[in-house]
Amino acid sequence: MLPRLLVRAGLLLALFLPPGAMAQPAPAPQAGPALAAELGQPRIAVDTAFTGADLLVFGATDRLLGPDGDNVIVLGLGPTRDVTVRRRVKRLGIWVNGPAARFREVPDYYALASTAPVAGLLDEPARRERRLGLDMLTARLPGPRDPAFREALIRLKQDTHQWVEEENMVGVSGGRLFHARLPLPSTVTPGDYVVQVMLVRDHRIIARQELSFGVDRVGATARIADVSRHEPLLYGLACVLLAALAGWLGSVIFRRG
Amino acid sequence: MPIYLPIAEMSVDAFLLLGIGLGVGWLSGLFGVGGGFLLTPLLILIGIPAPVAVASGANQTLGASVSGLIAQWRRGNVDARMGMVLLVAGLAGSAAGTQFFVLLRRLGQVDLAVSLFYVVVLGTVGMLMVRESLRAILRRRRALPARTHQHSWLHGLPLKMRFRKSRLYISIIPPALVGFGIGILSAIMGVGGGFMLVPAMIYLLGMPTTTTIGTSLFQVTFVSANVTLLQALQTGSVDIVLTLLLLTGGVAGAQFGAAMGTKLRGEETRALLGLLVLSVAAGLLVNLLQTPDSLYVIGPAT
Repeated sequence: MLPRLLVRAGLLLALFLPPGAMAQPAPAPQAGPALAAELGQPRIAVDTAFTGADLLVFGATDRLLGPDGDNVIVLGLGPTRDVTVRRRVKRLGIWVNGPAARFREVPDYYALASTAPVAGLLDEPARRERRLGLDMLTARLPGPRDPAFREALIRLKQDTHQWVEEENMVGVSGGRLFHARLPLPSTVTPGDYVVQVMLVRDHRIIARQELSFGVDRVGATARIADVSRHEPLLYGLACVLLAALAGWLGSVIFRRG
Repeated sequence: MPIYLPIAEMSVDAFLLLGIGLGVGWLSGLFGVGGGFLLTPLLILIGIPAPVAVASGANQTLGASVSGLIAQWRRGNVDARMGMVLLVAGLAGSAAGTQFFVLLRRLGQVDLAVSLFYVVVLGTVGMLMVRESLRAILRRRRALPARTHQHSWLHGLPLKMRFRKSRLYISIIPPALVGFGIGILSAIMGVGGGFMLVPAMIYLLGMPTTTTIGTSLFQVTFVSANVTLLQALQTGSVDIVLTLLLLTGGVAGAQFGAAMGTKLRGEETRALLGLLVLSVAAGLLVNLLQTPDSLYVIGPAT
Protein backbone atom coordinates (compact mmCIF):
# COMPACT_ATOMS: atom_id res chain seq x y z
CA MET A 1 0.00 0.00 0.00
CA LEU A 2 2.79 2.42 0.88
CA PRO A 3 4.29 2.84 -2.61
CA ARG A 4 0.81 3.21 -3.96
CA LEU A 5 0.04 6.01 -1.51
CA LEU A 6 3.33 7.74 -2.29
CA VAL A 7 2.63 7.61 -6.02
CA ARG A 8 -0.84 8.90 -5.44
CA ALA A 9 0.49 11.74 -3.28
CA GLY A 10 2.98 12.69 -6.00
CA LEU A 11 0.26 12.53 -8.57
CA LEU A 12 -2.00 14.82 -6.58
CA LEU A 13 0.87 17.24 -6.11
CA ALA A 14 1.43 17.38 -9.87
CA LEU A 15 -2.25 17.92 -10.54
CA PHE A 16 -2.62 20.79 -8.13
CA LEU A 17 0.49 22.70 -9.10
CA PRO A 18 -0.40 25.96 -10.83
CA PRO A 19 -0.12 25.76 -14.63
CA GLY A 20 2.66 28.37 -14.56
CA ALA A 21 4.80 26.18 -12.43
CA MET A 22 4.48 23.33 -14.94
CA ALA A 23 5.50 25.57 -17.81
CA GLN A 24 8.67 26.79 -16.16
CA PRO A 25 11.60 24.94 -17.68
CA ALA A 26 13.99 25.60 -14.80
CA PRO A 27 13.80 22.41 -12.60
CA ALA A 28 14.40 19.47 -14.91
CA PRO A 29 11.52 16.96 -14.51
CA GLN A 30 12.59 13.82 -12.76
CA ALA A 31 13.10 11.12 -15.34
CA GLY A 32 11.15 8.33 -13.67
CA PRO A 33 10.33 5.04 -15.32
CA ALA A 34 7.46 5.08 -17.80
CA LEU A 35 5.93 2.12 -15.99
CA ALA A 36 6.19 0.83 -12.45
CA ALA A 37 4.19 -2.22 -11.40
CA GLU A 38 4.03 -4.44 -8.36
CA LEU A 39 2.13 -7.48 -7.13
CA GLY A 40 -0.06 -7.42 -4.04
CA GLN A 41 1.66 -10.54 -2.74
CA PRO A 42 4.71 -12.48 -3.90
CA ARG A 43 3.10 -15.84 -3.42
CA ILE A 44 -0.30 -17.46 -3.14
CA ALA A 45 -0.48 -19.93 -0.28
CA VAL A 46 -2.59 -23.02 -0.90
CA ASP A 47 -3.74 -24.46 2.42
CA THR A 48 -6.65 -26.70 3.38
CA ALA A 49 -9.03 -23.72 3.36
CA PHE A 50 -7.97 -22.52 -0.13
CA THR A 51 -10.91 -21.80 -2.41
CA GLY A 52 -9.14 -19.76 -5.04
CA ALA A 53 -7.68 -16.27 -4.78
CA ASP A 54 -7.40 -12.94 -6.54
CA LEU A 55 -3.93 -11.68 -7.31
CA LEU A 56 -3.67 -7.90 -7.17
CA VAL A 57 -1.45 -6.25 -9.77
CA PHE A 58 -1.00 -2.51 -9.41
CA GLY A 59 1.30 0.27 -10.54
CA ALA A 60 1.66 3.69 -12.04
CA THR A 61 2.63 5.22 -15.35
CA ASP A 62 4.34 8.51 -16.20
CA ARG A 63 1.57 9.71 -18.51
CA LEU A 64 -2.19 9.70 -18.29
CA LEU A 65 -4.03 6.47 -18.97
CA GLY A 66 -7.30 6.45 -20.84
CA PRO A 67 -8.96 6.34 -24.25
CA ASP A 68 -6.86 9.22 -25.52
CA GLY A 69 -3.70 8.37 -23.69
CA ASP A 70 -1.69 5.32 -22.81
CA ASN A 71 -3.05 1.86 -22.09
CA VAL A 72 -1.93 -0.93 -19.81
CA ILE A 73 -2.11 -4.66 -20.51
CA VAL A 74 -1.65 -7.24 -17.76
CA LEU A 75 -0.95 -10.85 -18.70
CA GLY A 76 -0.70 -13.68 -16.17
CA LEU A 77 0.80 -17.04 -17.21
CA GLY A 78 1.09 -20.30 -15.29
CA PRO A 79 3.39 -23.30 -15.66
CA THR A 80 3.06 -25.22 -18.92
CA ARG A 81 2.33 -28.85 -19.67
CA ASP A 82 1.38 -30.98 -22.64
CA VAL A 83 -2.31 -31.75 -23.08
CA THR A 84 -4.37 -33.94 -25.38
CA VAL A 85 -7.75 -32.87 -26.74
CA ARG A 86 -9.94 -35.69 -28.01
CA ARG A 87 -13.05 -35.44 -30.15
CA ARG A 88 -15.92 -37.74 -29.29
CA VAL A 89 -17.46 -39.58 -32.19
CA LYS A 90 -20.43 -41.91 -32.41
CA ARG A 91 -19.55 -45.47 -33.36
CA LEU A 92 -22.16 -48.25 -33.37
CA GLY A 93 -24.51 -46.00 -31.40
CA ILE A 94 -22.17 -45.15 -28.55
CA TRP A 95 -19.89 -42.17 -28.02
CA VAL A 96 -16.22 -43.04 -28.06
CA ASN A 97 -13.03 -41.00 -28.05
CA GLY A 98 -12.11 -40.42 -31.65
CA PRO A 99 -9.33 -38.33 -33.18
CA ALA A 100 -6.92 -36.76 -30.72
CA ALA A 101 -4.74 -33.67 -30.95
CA ARG A 102 -1.73 -33.09 -28.76
CA PHE A 103 -0.72 -29.57 -27.78
CA ARG A 104 2.69 -28.93 -26.29
CA GLU A 105 3.62 -26.36 -23.66
CA VAL A 106 0.08 -25.28 -22.88
CA PRO A 107 -0.01 -22.82 -19.95
CA ASP A 108 -2.16 -24.18 -17.13
CA TYR A 109 -3.23 -20.66 -16.34
CA TYR A 110 -3.74 -17.66 -18.60
CA ALA A 111 -5.33 -14.36 -17.63
CA LEU A 112 -5.44 -11.25 -19.78
CA ALA A 113 -6.61 -7.87 -18.57
CA SER A 114 -6.29 -4.40 -20.11
CA THR A 115 -7.61 -0.87 -19.93
CA ALA A 116 -9.16 -1.21 -23.42
CA PRO A 117 -9.76 -4.13 -25.81
CA VAL A 118 -6.35 -5.43 -26.83
CA ALA A 119 -7.35 -5.86 -30.47
CA GLY A 120 -7.73 -2.08 -30.76
CA LEU A 121 -4.42 -1.35 -29.07
CA LEU A 122 -1.96 -3.48 -30.99
CA ASP A 123 -1.82 -4.93 -34.47
CA GLU A 124 -1.95 -8.66 -34.98
CA PRO A 125 1.79 -9.44 -35.29
CA ALA A 126 2.47 -7.65 -32.01
CA ARG A 127 -0.39 -9.43 -30.27
CA ARG A 128 0.77 -12.72 -31.69
CA GLU A 129 4.32 -12.17 -30.49
CA ARG A 130 3.23 -11.40 -26.94
CA ARG A 131 0.42 -14.00 -26.90
CA LEU A 132 -2.22 -11.37 -26.18
CA GLY A 133 -5.59 -13.06 -26.59
CA LEU A 134 -6.54 -16.71 -26.38
CA ASP A 135 -6.70 -17.00 -30.17
CA MET A 136 -3.14 -15.69 -30.37
CA LEU A 137 -1.99 -17.98 -27.58
CA THR A 138 -3.40 -21.12 -29.17
CA ALA A 139 -2.24 -20.09 -32.64
CA ARG A 140 1.32 -20.14 -31.34
CA LEU A 141 1.08 -23.47 -29.53
CA PRO A 142 2.85 -26.33 -31.23
CA GLY A 143 0.05 -28.70 -32.20
CA PRO A 144 -2.33 -29.68 -34.95
CA ARG A 145 -3.56 -27.24 -37.60
CA ASP A 146 -7.23 -28.15 -37.30
CA PRO A 147 -8.85 -25.00 -35.84
CA ALA A 148 -11.68 -27.01 -34.25
CA PHE A 149 -9.27 -28.52 -31.73
CA ARG A 150 -7.84 -25.10 -30.87
CA GLU A 151 -11.31 -23.69 -30.33
CA ALA A 152 -12.23 -26.69 -28.19
CA LEU A 153 -9.09 -26.21 -26.11
CA ILE A 154 -10.00 -22.56 -25.49
CA ARG A 155 -13.58 -23.41 -24.55
CA LEU A 156 -12.63 -26.27 -22.21
CA LYS A 157 -10.02 -24.16 -20.43
CA GLN A 158 -12.44 -21.25 -20.11
CA ASP A 159 -15.09 -23.56 -18.67
CA THR A 160 -12.78 -24.45 -15.78
CA HIS A 161 -11.84 -20.76 -15.30
CA GLN A 162 -8.20 -21.59 -15.87
CA TRP A 163 -8.07 -19.30 -18.87
CA VAL A 164 -9.69 -15.89 -18.54
CA GLU A 165 -9.78 -13.18 -21.12
CA GLU A 166 -11.96 -10.42 -19.74
CA GLU A 167 -10.85 -7.25 -21.30
CA ASN A 168 -11.35 -3.92 -19.50
CA MET A 169 -10.54 -5.50 -16.18
CA VAL A 170 -7.73 -3.04 -15.45
CA GLY A 171 -9.08 -0.18 -13.36
CA VAL A 172 -7.58 3.29 -13.46
CA SER A 173 -7.68 5.82 -10.66
CA GLY A 174 -6.30 9.31 -10.66
CA GLY A 175 -5.32 9.03 -14.32
CA ARG A 176 -2.02 7.25 -13.76
CA LEU A 177 -2.62 4.56 -11.18
CA PHE A 178 -3.83 1.24 -12.43
CA HIS A 179 -4.85 -1.96 -10.71
CA ALA A 180 -6.11 -5.35 -11.83
CA ARG A 181 -7.17 -8.53 -10.11
CA LEU A 182 -6.26 -11.82 -11.74
CA PRO A 183 -8.68 -14.52 -10.54
CA LEU A 184 -7.00 -17.83 -9.62
CA PRO A 185 -9.50 -20.70 -9.37
CA SER A 186 -9.24 -23.35 -6.65
CA THR A 187 -7.96 -25.81 -9.26
CA VAL A 188 -4.90 -23.63 -9.92
CA THR A 189 -1.73 -25.69 -10.33
CA PRO A 190 1.05 -25.04 -7.83
CA GLY A 191 4.19 -23.72 -9.51
CA ASP A 192 5.94 -20.64 -10.81
CA TYR A 193 3.83 -17.95 -12.42
CA VAL A 194 4.71 -14.72 -14.22
CA VAL A 195 2.79 -11.51 -14.69
CA GLN A 196 3.75 -9.29 -17.61
CA VAL A 197 2.68 -5.68 -17.41
CA MET A 198 2.89 -3.76 -20.70
CA LEU A 199 2.47 -0.06 -21.40
CA VAL A 200 1.04 0.71 -24.84
CA ARG A 201 1.42 4.07 -26.51
CA ASP A 202 0.54 4.77 -30.15
CA HIS A 203 -0.05 1.08 -30.90
CA ARG A 204 3.37 0.10 -29.63
CA ILE A 205 4.56 -1.49 -26.42
CA ILE A 206 6.95 1.08 -25.02
CA ALA A 207 7.61 -0.42 -21.62
CA ARG A 208 7.33 -3.86 -20.17
CA GLN A 209 7.80 -5.27 -16.72
CA GLU A 210 7.87 -8.91 -15.72
CA LEU A 211 6.91 -9.91 -12.20
CA SER A 212 6.95 -13.43 -10.86
CA PHE A 213 5.00 -15.11 -8.15
CA GLY A 214 4.57 -18.63 -6.86
CA VAL A 215 1.54 -20.69 -6.05
CA ASP A 216 2.74 -22.88 -3.20
CA ARG A 217 1.14 -25.47 -1.01
CA VAL A 218 1.61 -24.74 2.69
CA GLY A 219 0.90 -26.52 5.97
CA ALA A 220 -0.78 -29.92 5.98
CA THR A 221 -1.57 -29.68 2.26
CA ALA A 222 2.12 -29.26 1.44
CA ARG A 223 3.20 -32.10 3.74
CA ILE A 224 0.65 -34.54 2.33
CA ALA A 225 1.57 -33.71 -1.26
CA ASP A 226 5.29 -33.98 -0.44
CA VAL A 227 5.05 -37.36 1.27
CA SER A 228 2.84 -38.68 -1.52
CA ARG A 229 5.42 -37.64 -4.11
CA HIS A 230 8.69 -38.50 -2.38
CA GLU A 231 7.70 -41.45 -0.16
CA PRO A 232 4.90 -43.19 -2.09
CA LEU A 233 5.30 -46.50 -0.23
CA LEU A 234 5.13 -44.81 3.16
CA TYR A 235 2.18 -42.72 1.99
CA GLY A 236 0.33 -45.75 0.63
CA LEU A 237 0.84 -47.68 3.86
CA ALA A 238 -0.32 -44.66 5.85
CA CYS A 239 -3.47 -44.42 3.70
CA VAL A 240 -4.21 -48.11 4.25
CA LEU A 241 -3.67 -47.85 8.01
CA LEU A 242 -5.61 -44.60 8.41
CA ALA A 243 -8.58 -45.92 6.46
CA ALA A 244 -8.57 -49.19 8.42
CA LEU A 245 -8.30 -47.25 11.67
CA ALA A 246 -11.21 -45.01 10.69
CA GLY A 247 -13.30 -48.09 9.89
CA TRP A 248 -12.38 -49.75 13.18
CA LEU A 249 -13.10 -46.55 15.14
CA GLY A 250 -16.50 -46.34 13.50
CA SER A 251 -17.42 -49.87 14.51
CA VAL A 252 -16.28 -49.17 18.11
CA ILE A 253 -18.18 -45.89 18.38
CA PHE A 254 -21.37 -47.28 16.88
CA ARG A 255 -21.21 -50.64 18.64
CA ARG A 256 -24.30 -49.99 20.69
CA GLY A 257 -25.92 -47.72 18.13
CA MET B 1 -17.58 -25.62 4.26
CA PRO B 2 -15.03 -25.77 1.43
CA ILE B 3 -11.89 -27.82 1.90
CA TYR B 4 -8.85 -28.04 -0.37
CA LEU B 5 -7.87 -31.57 -1.42
CA PRO B 6 -4.06 -31.79 -1.63
CA ILE B 7 -3.79 -34.53 -4.27
CA ALA B 8 -6.88 -33.71 -6.34
CA GLU B 9 -5.67 -30.07 -6.26
CA MET B 10 -9.13 -28.59 -5.96
CA SER B 11 -11.58 -27.26 -3.40
CA VAL B 12 -14.75 -29.23 -2.58
CA ASP B 13 -17.54 -28.78 -0.04
CA ALA B 14 -16.71 -30.99 2.95
CA PHE B 15 -20.39 -31.59 3.80
CA LEU B 16 -21.06 -32.87 0.30
CA LEU B 17 -18.29 -35.44 0.75
CA LEU B 18 -19.60 -36.40 4.21
CA GLY B 19 -23.07 -36.90 2.73
CA ILE B 20 -21.80 -39.03 -0.15
CA GLY B 21 -19.79 -41.09 2.36
CA LEU B 22 -22.85 -41.59 4.56
CA GLY B 23 -25.06 -42.75 1.71
CA VAL B 24 -22.53 -45.09 0.16
CA GLY B 25 -21.50 -46.42 3.61
CA TRP B 26 -25.11 -47.21 4.45
CA LEU B 27 -25.52 -49.24 1.25
CA SER B 28 -22.19 -50.92 1.87
CA GLY B 29 -23.26 -52.09 5.31
CA LEU B 30 -26.70 -53.12 4.10
CA PHE B 31 -25.57 -55.21 1.14
CA GLY B 32 -22.06 -56.17 2.17
CA VAL B 33 -20.48 -54.50 -0.82
CA GLY B 34 -17.71 -51.91 -0.70
CA GLY B 35 -19.79 -49.41 -2.62
CA GLY B 36 -16.96 -48.56 -5.01
CA PHE B 37 -19.21 -49.06 -8.03
CA LEU B 38 -21.38 -46.19 -6.74
CA LEU B 39 -18.70 -44.04 -5.18
CA THR B 40 -16.30 -43.75 -8.10
CA PRO B 41 -18.94 -42.52 -10.62
CA LEU B 42 -20.32 -40.12 -7.97
CA LEU B 43 -16.91 -38.58 -7.29
CA ILE B 44 -16.28 -38.12 -11.01
CA LEU B 45 -19.72 -36.52 -11.27
CA ILE B 46 -18.84 -33.83 -8.69
CA GLY B 47 -15.66 -32.99 -10.62
CA ILE B 48 -12.92 -35.04 -8.94
CA PRO B 49 -10.35 -36.08 -11.58
CA ALA B 50 -10.97 -39.71 -12.60
CA PRO B 51 -7.62 -41.19 -11.43
CA VAL B 52 -8.04 -39.58 -7.99
CA ALA B 53 -11.66 -40.77 -7.81
CA VAL B 54 -10.66 -44.36 -8.61
CA ALA B 55 -7.69 -44.46 -6.23
CA SER B 56 -9.38 -42.68 -3.32
CA GLY B 57 -12.53 -44.69 -3.91
CA ALA B 58 -10.51 -47.88 -3.37
CA ASN B 59 -9.05 -46.39 -0.18
CA GLN B 60 -12.52 -45.43 1.09
CA THR B 61 -13.82 -48.89 0.22
CA LEU B 62 -11.08 -50.31 2.45
CA GLY B 63 -12.17 -48.28 5.47
CA ALA B 64 -15.87 -48.94 4.93
CA SER B 65 -15.25 -52.67 4.48
CA VAL B 66 -13.18 -52.88 7.68
CA SER B 67 -16.08 -51.30 9.52
CA GLY B 68 -18.58 -53.69 7.94
CA LEU B 69 -16.23 -56.64 8.33
CA ILE B 70 -15.94 -56.11 12.10
CA ALA B 71 -19.72 -55.87 12.39
CA GLN B 72 -20.16 -59.12 10.42
CA TRP B 73 -17.33 -60.87 12.24
CA ARG B 74 -19.08 -60.27 15.57
CA ARG B 75 -22.16 -61.93 14.18
CA GLY B 76 -20.03 -64.90 13.10
CA ASN B 77 -20.80 -64.39 9.43
CA VAL B 78 -17.26 -64.56 8.01
CA ASP B 79 -15.93 -67.73 6.41
CA ALA B 80 -12.24 -66.91 6.77
CA ARG B 81 -11.07 -70.03 4.96
CA MET B 82 -13.19 -69.29 1.91
CA GLY B 83 -12.08 -65.66 2.18
CA MET B 84 -8.41 -66.63 2.02
CA VAL B 85 -8.92 -68.77 -1.10
CA LEU B 86 -10.79 -65.93 -2.81
CA LEU B 87 -8.23 -63.39 -1.67
CA VAL B 88 -5.11 -65.15 -2.91
CA ALA B 89 -6.72 -65.68 -6.31
CA GLY B 90 -8.06 -62.11 -6.24
CA LEU B 91 -4.63 -60.59 -5.70
CA ALA B 92 -3.25 -62.58 -8.64
CA GLY B 93 -6.23 -61.46 -10.76
CA SER B 94 -5.81 -57.79 -9.90
CA ALA B 95 -2.13 -57.95 -10.84
CA ALA B 96 -3.14 -59.37 -14.25
CA GLY B 97 -5.92 -56.77 -14.57
CA THR B 98 -3.48 -53.93 -13.97
CA GLN B 99 -1.43 -55.10 -16.95
CA PHE B 100 -4.56 -55.10 -19.11
CA PHE B 101 -5.34 -51.58 -17.88
CA VAL B 102 -1.90 -50.39 -18.99
CA LEU B 103 -2.58 -51.86 -22.44
CA LEU B 104 -5.95 -50.06 -22.66
CA ARG B 105 -4.33 -46.78 -21.70
CA ARG B 106 -1.81 -47.19 -24.49
CA LEU B 107 -4.72 -47.60 -26.92
CA GLY B 108 -6.28 -44.36 -25.59
CA GLN B 109 -9.66 -45.94 -24.83
CA VAL B 110 -9.60 -46.28 -21.05
CA ASP B 111 -12.75 -44.18 -20.54
CA LEU B 112 -14.75 -46.18 -23.04
CA ALA B 113 -13.46 -49.53 -21.82
CA VAL B 114 -14.24 -48.67 -18.20
CA SER B 115 -17.75 -47.49 -19.09
CA LEU B 116 -18.44 -50.55 -21.23
CA PHE B 117 -17.17 -52.85 -18.52
CA TYR B 118 -19.44 -51.14 -16.02
CA VAL B 119 -22.49 -51.38 -18.26
CA VAL B 120 -21.94 -55.00 -19.27
CA VAL B 121 -20.85 -56.33 -15.87
CA LEU B 122 -23.30 -54.33 -13.76
CA GLY B 123 -26.13 -54.99 -16.21
CA THR B 124 -25.53 -58.74 -16.26
CA VAL B 125 -24.99 -59.08 -12.53
CA GLY B 126 -27.96 -56.88 -11.70
CA MET B 127 -30.30 -58.75 -14.02
CA LEU B 128 -29.23 -62.14 -12.68
CA MET B 129 -29.68 -61.00 -9.11
CA VAL B 130 -33.10 -59.49 -9.63
CA ARG B 131 -34.33 -62.53 -11.56
CA GLU B 132 -33.03 -65.06 -9.06
CA SER B 133 -34.20 -63.22 -5.96
CA LEU B 134 -37.66 -62.61 -7.42
CA ARG B 135 -37.89 -66.33 -8.11
CA ALA B 136 -36.83 -67.10 -4.57
CA ILE B 137 -39.41 -64.70 -3.17
CA LEU B 138 -42.15 -66.25 -5.35
CA ARG B 139 -41.09 -69.73 -4.33
CA ARG B 140 -41.37 -68.75 -0.69
CA ARG B 141 -44.84 -67.29 -1.23
CA ARG B 142 -46.02 -70.53 -2.83
CA ALA B 143 -44.38 -72.38 0.05
CA LEU B 144 -42.53 -74.72 -2.26
CA PRO B 145 -39.57 -76.52 -0.77
CA ALA B 146 -36.40 -74.78 -1.92
CA ARG B 147 -33.67 -76.86 -3.40
CA THR B 148 -30.92 -76.53 -0.83
CA HIS B 149 -28.22 -78.49 -2.55
CA GLN B 150 -27.50 -79.05 -6.19
CA HIS B 151 -24.87 -81.39 -7.53
CA SER B 152 -23.18 -80.38 -10.74
CA TRP B 153 -19.91 -80.99 -12.54
CA LEU B 154 -18.37 -78.44 -10.15
CA HIS B 155 -18.53 -81.03 -7.41
CA GLY B 156 -16.48 -83.51 -9.36
CA LEU B 157 -13.34 -81.36 -9.36
CA PRO B 158 -10.28 -82.33 -7.31
CA LEU B 159 -8.61 -80.41 -4.44
CA LYS B 160 -11.67 -80.54 -2.25
CA MET B 161 -11.74 -78.52 0.92
CA ARG B 162 -14.21 -78.28 3.75
CA PHE B 163 -15.64 -74.81 4.44
CA ARG B 164 -17.35 -75.28 7.79
CA LYS B 165 -18.86 -71.83 8.17
CA SER B 166 -20.54 -72.10 4.77
CA ARG B 167 -21.40 -75.77 5.22
CA LEU B 168 -19.70 -76.63 1.94
CA TYR B 169 -17.35 -79.37 0.84
CA ILE B 170 -16.16 -78.33 -2.60
CA SER B 171 -13.04 -78.11 -4.74
CA ILE B 172 -11.02 -74.91 -4.30
CA ILE B 173 -10.83 -74.48 -8.08
CA PRO B 174 -14.23 -72.73 -8.54
CA PRO B 175 -13.65 -70.19 -5.73
CA ALA B 176 -10.12 -69.55 -6.99
CA LEU B 177 -11.44 -68.91 -10.51
CA VAL B 178 -14.14 -66.60 -9.13
CA GLY B 179 -11.57 -64.69 -7.07
CA PHE B 180 -9.20 -64.38 -10.05
CA GLY B 181 -11.89 -63.18 -12.45
CA ILE B 182 -13.18 -60.61 -10.00
CA GLY B 183 -9.61 -59.48 -9.32
CA ILE B 184 -9.20 -58.71 -13.04
CA LEU B 185 -12.50 -56.82 -13.21
CA SER B 186 -11.84 -54.87 -10.03
CA ALA B 187 -8.49 -53.64 -11.32
CA ILE B 188 -10.09 -52.36 -14.52
CA MET B 189 -13.19 -50.89 -12.92
CA GLY B 190 -11.41 -49.51 -9.87
CA VAL B 191 -13.78 -51.16 -7.41
CA GLY B 192 -13.44 -53.76 -4.66
CA GLY B 193 -15.70 -56.17 -6.51
CA GLY B 194 -18.12 -57.01 -3.69
CA PHE B 195 -21.20 -56.50 -5.86
CA MET B 196 -19.92 -59.20 -8.21
CA LEU B 197 -18.56 -61.41 -5.46
CA VAL B 198 -21.80 -61.69 -3.51
CA PRO B 199 -23.84 -63.13 -6.42
CA ALA B 200 -20.90 -65.27 -7.58
CA MET B 201 -20.66 -66.87 -4.14
CA ILE B 202 -24.39 -67.48 -4.00
CA TYR B 203 -25.01 -68.75 -7.50
CA LEU B 204 -21.69 -70.29 -8.51
CA LEU B 205 -20.42 -71.63 -5.20
CA GLY B 206 -23.77 -72.21 -3.50
CA MET B 207 -22.83 -70.41 -0.31
CA PRO B 208 -25.61 -69.36 2.12
CA THR B 209 -26.46 -65.63 2.02
CA THR B 210 -25.53 -65.18 5.68
CA THR B 211 -21.85 -65.97 5.17
CA THR B 212 -21.57 -64.40 1.71
CA ILE B 213 -21.77 -60.82 2.93
CA GLY B 214 -19.18 -61.18 5.68
CA THR B 215 -16.85 -63.25 3.48
CA SER B 216 -17.13 -60.83 0.60
CA LEU B 217 -16.25 -57.96 2.96
CA PHE B 218 -13.21 -59.96 4.04
CA GLN B 219 -12.01 -60.29 0.46
CA VAL B 220 -12.89 -56.68 -0.47
CA THR B 221 -10.98 -55.32 2.54
CA PHE B 222 -7.72 -56.89 1.47
CA VAL B 223 -8.13 -56.36 -2.27
CA SER B 224 -8.86 -52.64 -1.74
CA ALA B 225 -5.83 -52.36 0.58
CA ASN B 226 -3.75 -53.82 -2.23
CA VAL B 227 -5.27 -51.45 -4.82
CA THR B 228 -4.66 -48.46 -2.52
CA LEU B 229 -1.02 -49.38 -2.12
CA LEU B 230 -0.52 -50.02 -5.86
CA GLN B 231 -2.23 -46.72 -6.77
CA ALA B 232 -0.11 -44.78 -4.26
CA LEU B 233 3.04 -46.33 -5.71
CA GLN B 234 2.20 -46.17 -9.41
CA THR B 235 -0.02 -43.14 -9.97
CA GLY B 236 0.27 -41.15 -6.71
CA SER B 237 -3.41 -40.29 -6.91
CA VAL B 238 -4.71 -41.44 -3.51
CA ASP B 239 -6.09 -38.37 -1.72
CA ILE B 240 -6.10 -39.14 2.00
CA VAL B 241 -8.07 -35.99 2.88
CA LEU B 242 -10.80 -36.99 0.45
CA THR B 243 -10.74 -40.58 1.77
CA LEU B 244 -11.01 -39.58 5.42
CA LEU B 245 -13.90 -37.21 4.76
CA LEU B 246 -15.79 -39.91 2.86
CA LEU B 247 -15.02 -42.39 5.63
CA THR B 248 -16.22 -40.12 8.40
CA GLY B 249 -19.68 -40.28 6.87
CA GLY B 250 -19.13 -43.82 5.62
CA VAL B 251 -18.37 -45.64 8.87
CA ALA B 252 -21.49 -44.25 10.49
CA GLY B 253 -23.58 -45.24 7.48
CA ALA B 254 -22.09 -48.74 7.34
CA GLN B 255 -23.11 -49.49 10.93
CA PHE B 256 -26.69 -48.39 10.35
CA GLY B 257 -26.76 -50.34 7.12
CA ALA B 258 -25.46 -53.53 8.76
CA ALA B 259 -28.03 -53.23 11.56
CA MET B 260 -30.81 -52.80 9.01
CA GLY B 261 -29.48 -55.63 6.85
CA THR B 262 -30.14 -58.17 9.59
CA LYS B 263 -33.83 -57.25 9.54
CA LEU B 264 -34.18 -57.89 5.81
CA ARG B 265 -34.56 -61.34 4.34
CA GLY B 266 -31.72 -62.58 2.12
CA GLU B 267 -33.86 -62.60 -1.04
CA GLU B 268 -35.13 -59.10 -0.46
CA THR B 269 -31.62 -57.77 0.18
CA ARG B 270 -30.47 -59.39 -3.05
CA ALA B 271 -33.40 -58.01 -5.02
CA LEU B 272 -32.71 -54.48 -3.76
CA LEU B 273 -28.98 -54.74 -4.45
CA GLY B 274 -29.79 -56.08 -7.91
CA LEU B 275 -32.07 -53.13 -8.64
CA LEU B 276 -29.40 -50.69 -7.43
CA VAL B 277 -26.73 -52.31 -9.59
CA LEU B 278 -29.11 -52.28 -12.58
CA SER B 279 -29.91 -48.59 -12.15
CA VAL B 280 -26.22 -47.64 -12.07
CA ALA B 281 -25.70 -49.68 -15.24
CA ALA B 282 -28.67 -47.97 -16.89
CA GLY B 283 -27.35 -44.52 -15.93
CA LEU B 284 -23.95 -45.28 -17.43
CA LEU B 285 -25.54 -46.70 -20.56
CA VAL B 286 -27.54 -43.50 -21.05
CA ASN B 287 -24.27 -41.57 -20.74
CA LEU B 288 -22.73 -43.64 -23.50
CA LEU B 289 -25.72 -43.19 -25.83
CA GLN B 290 -26.57 -39.57 -25.10
CA THR B 291 -24.98 -36.78 -27.10
CA PRO B 292 -22.39 -35.32 -24.69
CA ASP B 293 -22.50 -31.66 -23.63
CA SER B 294 -19.06 -31.12 -25.05
CA LEU B 295 -17.90 -33.02 -28.10
CA TYR B 296 -14.34 -32.59 -26.93
CA VAL B 297 -12.51 -33.79 -23.84
CA ILE B 298 -9.21 -32.60 -22.47
CA GLY B 299 -6.62 -34.60 -20.62
CA PRO B 300 -2.92 -34.69 -19.86
CA ALA B 301 -0.87 -35.84 -22.82
CA THR B 302 0.03 -39.52 -22.62
